[in-house]
Amino acid sequence: MSAPATATHAAQGLAARRALRFARIRGVTFAALGLVLLYAAAGAFATPAVFSFWIDKQGGESAELQTTVGILWMVAGVASGAVGMLQLFRGTAFPWRRWLLVLMLPVLAALLAALLNGTSANLTGVLGGSLELAAPITMGALAGILSERSGMLNIAIEGKMLLGAAVASIVASVILNATGNPLLGALSGVAGAMLVGALVGLLLAWLGIRHKVDQIIAGTVINIGALGITNFLFLRVLGRNTELNTPPTIEPMRLPLLADIPVLGPILFSAKPYVYVAIILMLALTYMLFRTRWGLRLRASGEKPAAAGTVGVNVLAIRYRALLLAGLIAGLAGSYLSLSTAGSFQMGMSAGRGFIALAAMIFGAWHPIGAFGAALVFGFADTSQALLSILGVQVPPQLLNSVPYIVTIVVVAGVVGRVRGPAAAGQPYEQA
Amino acid sequence: MRLELRDITKRFPGVLANDGISISADRGEVLGMLGENGAGKTTLMNILSGLYRPDSGEILIDGQSKVFHDPADAIGAGVGMVHQHFMLVPVFDVVEAVALGAETVSGVLGRFDRAVARARIVALSEQYGLDVDPDARIENLPVGVRQRVEILKALYRHSDILVLDEPSAVLTPLETEELYGIIRSLKATGTTVIFITHKLNEVLEVADKIVVLRRGRVAGTAIPAHTTRQELANMMVGRDVELVVPKGPASPGEVVLSIRDLRVRDDRLEIAVDGVDLDVRAGEIVAIAGVQGNGQTELVEAIVGLRAIDAGEMSIGGERIEHATPRHIADLGVAHIPEDRGRDGLINQMTVAENYILDTYHREPYSRRGLFDLRAVAARAKQGVVDFDIRTPSIETTAASLSGGNQQKVVVAREFSRPVRLVVAAQPTRGLDVGSIEYIHRRLVEQRDAGAAILIVCTELDEVLAVGDRVAVMYEGRIVGVLAGAEATYEAIGLLMGGAHFGGAAA
Repeated sequence: MSAPATATHAAQGLAARRALRFARIRGVTFAALGLVLLYAAAGAFATPAVFSFWIDKQGGESAELQTTVGILWMVAGVASGAVGMLQLFRGTAFPWRRWLLVLMLPVLAALLAALLNGTSANLTGVLGGSLELAAPITMGALAGILSERSGMLNIAIEGKMLLGAAVASIVASVILNATGNPLLGALSGVAGAMLVGALVGLLLAWLGIRHKVDQIIAGTVINIGALGITNFLFLRVLGRNTELNTPPTIEPMRLPLLADIPVLGPILFSAKPYVYVAIILMLALTYMLFRTRWGLRLRASGEKPAAAGTVGVNVLAIRYRALLLAGLIAGLAGSYLSLSTAGSFQMGMSAGRGFIALAAMIFGAWHPIGAFGAALVFGFADTSQALLSILGVQVPPQLLNSVPYIVTIVVVAGVVGRVRGPAAAGQPYEQA
Repeated sequence: MRLELRDITKRFPGVLANDGISISADRGEVLGMLGENGAGKTTLMNILSGLYRPDSGEILIDGQSKVFHDPADAIGAGVGMVHQHFMLVPVFDVVEAVALGAETVSGVLGRFDRAVARARIVALSEQYGLDVDPDARIENLPVGVRQRVEILKALYRHSDILVLDEPSAVLTPLETEELYGIIRSLKATGTTVIFITHKLNEVLEVADKIVVLRRGRVAGTAIPAHTTRQELANMMVGRDVELVVPKGPASPGEVVLSIRDLRVRDDRLEIAVDGVDLDVRAGEIVAIAGVQGNGQTELVEAIVGLRAIDAGEMSIGGERIEHATPRHIADLGVAHIPEDRGRDGLINQMTVAENYILDTYHREPYSRRGLFDLRAVAARAKQGVVDFDIRTPSIETTAASLSGGNQQKVVVAREFSRPVRLVVAAQPTRGLDVGSIEYIHRRLVEQRDAGAAILIVCTELDEVLAVGDRVAVMYEGRIVGVLAGAEATYEAIGLLMGGAHFGGAAA
């Protein structure tokens, strides 16, 4: 229970003033950034910026977008200035995080053009790649949102993804070898990954709920255990029996009609099925969380479990089910790694994506749509590695590889600031 | 009879919480349930609301025996519980908070039909005169309104047996009056209300009949018109108690504690004490009245050196203490009875003897050349136990296993074991029963008569009037009035506590 409201009127006034001050600082910062961008524009109107997009398919005809770097900088600058003005006028009510995400688009486009320095670049691959790499991160973040909204900290997503990747590859290989049917093999692999994710989710729930093990520690144990088990599997089993690690791969799927839309079709609708599933899950979870009885009770369990318990809601059952569901989704995300990128399982191939997913969850303020937006940023950071090396930018590859992680740190530490998560996440609930 | 509890017994490991309790209440009746802490009130109500199951005995609703396996069963039988600590999700709006657990849904996915719920809440709040904005977020509502939301929550579930557990603990006197009004209108519509409290005035004000619990049993029943505060208090404690400790007029001497324009921030760095001026003289008790959370905690912490101050001056006996350490301040003769004895007053896992020397362990006779003289520690602690009538099996018992009243006596014994010039007591009787309250008050008056200056923070008006020679009312970090003698009435203080300003004499 917070302090009585009568007591804090004066204090609330002060808090409001402080929030307003920060809002002003943000507004001025955006405006100043706008000026810097406009300054950059001034010297760059002579440099052409040429972006091209495949119209119908990779290597086919392409549409070109021709402008100059200066114009792009100017657009970004004006946009930044506009966001700054909006922030100044609207004060604390201004949803600046959302607008910051929007603002990133023109800034990144201009930055890209400036780095290209006149050479033409095809963006279809970059944008499609961002979307594809965002898919597992989105799913991981959704798993995190489900857990934490129900009151369970879930840092074991990394471990679930890794185990999911290993199991997907093995199951898919075995079924493929047995039946010769790649589709059946792939689907079985996905199902196996989801099943193992769910089992690990239940293990986490059992430790955290039944035995009240600290949820951070339980998650850490699972992550370490998953790494150990999969490394062992890879070195001792898969290494000697390579036929167990040659799964069928899941390839991009053209959506009829939609994939024929010029320019957009190749980016959005010729993607891997994981992209479609991630988007569908994001929308479904948004609806379920905020529009249904199930969501209301789940959120109540994560914010104030005693309030739910005293009106007859079974908080512990809700938490078990949430972790089960989260495990299914995290396992699915894991199957992407082995079935859709590498074509086989590799040691430690989750490479921190489970943690990046948690960062996306936080950046997205525990909202599925926000998390997807954040995942796109991380996905772009990931693909930009490839892009930058194509551009021949002289940067050591190790540094390029660390771009997604650097972006994570910057985003979580700098941009997000304090977002409020579910109040009771991580606290065991004693049900009478 | 709408509700009857018959012979309810509930045992916890080592404690018989309810021992054959029988109570009953009819439609439109307000049953006041009075009892000290640990008398078994809350256990009984948790049984009634389905959180616990009794070891034996039965619950009858309209003469029918019922078994409640969980809260949902109790709700189904019409029992609505308003918990002392509100059970509302802070980030929900009123509609969501009220409907939770009893949602109106549509479609296969179970879409929450907000409009239907909202309409019902609006209708109910009009019917019972419960003024609530259905779209407001819970965390933005004042405590009094949150309580109305809790009552709405019960009514929304068609409860006509409403249990209010210590409902006035967090309310201002004005809000408490409003609560009485709500209870009367509920009663008029035939709702049975069970009103749990340890405050004597409240049951006399609203109850139709009173049940007094003591040590898990019914100690007696009474009708408000035919009983007195004194009689009820005696029933609660099981012996004759003094509700107001007798004390002579104060004979104030020189100023001991002097505070000028003090500003202090709270943990969130907001201004909590906002320009306080206060003098406390030797031989007088100054009571700070106010609803909890108006800066009293921060004021006390600043005086005893536990919280850095923003601005202002403080001195004890002429010595400036703005930047003094807590130990230095204690050495000036300041006894501090903290607000939360479990957190700041005692180390729960340490023994009575260890707690007794917490402030002086580093000195002779307890320590010599860095080593404890355990015999001296034991001898002094035993003396303290005798002098302060601490009921403990031994001085080696941990503080955690003592009752609240005895824990507080350990704190008081320790603080008074040094020479005392100033006593700073923050809600020293919070959560204590009538008997322990009597004891603590008596000790404070003794110290006053021995020439100490006493500053006591109270949230209960009864306590303010019982012990204060002067009353300073604190509201939103300021002292909004200082009243003494005949000016210090229930009404005047109550108004100031609620934020009504009028000119009181400056301290």
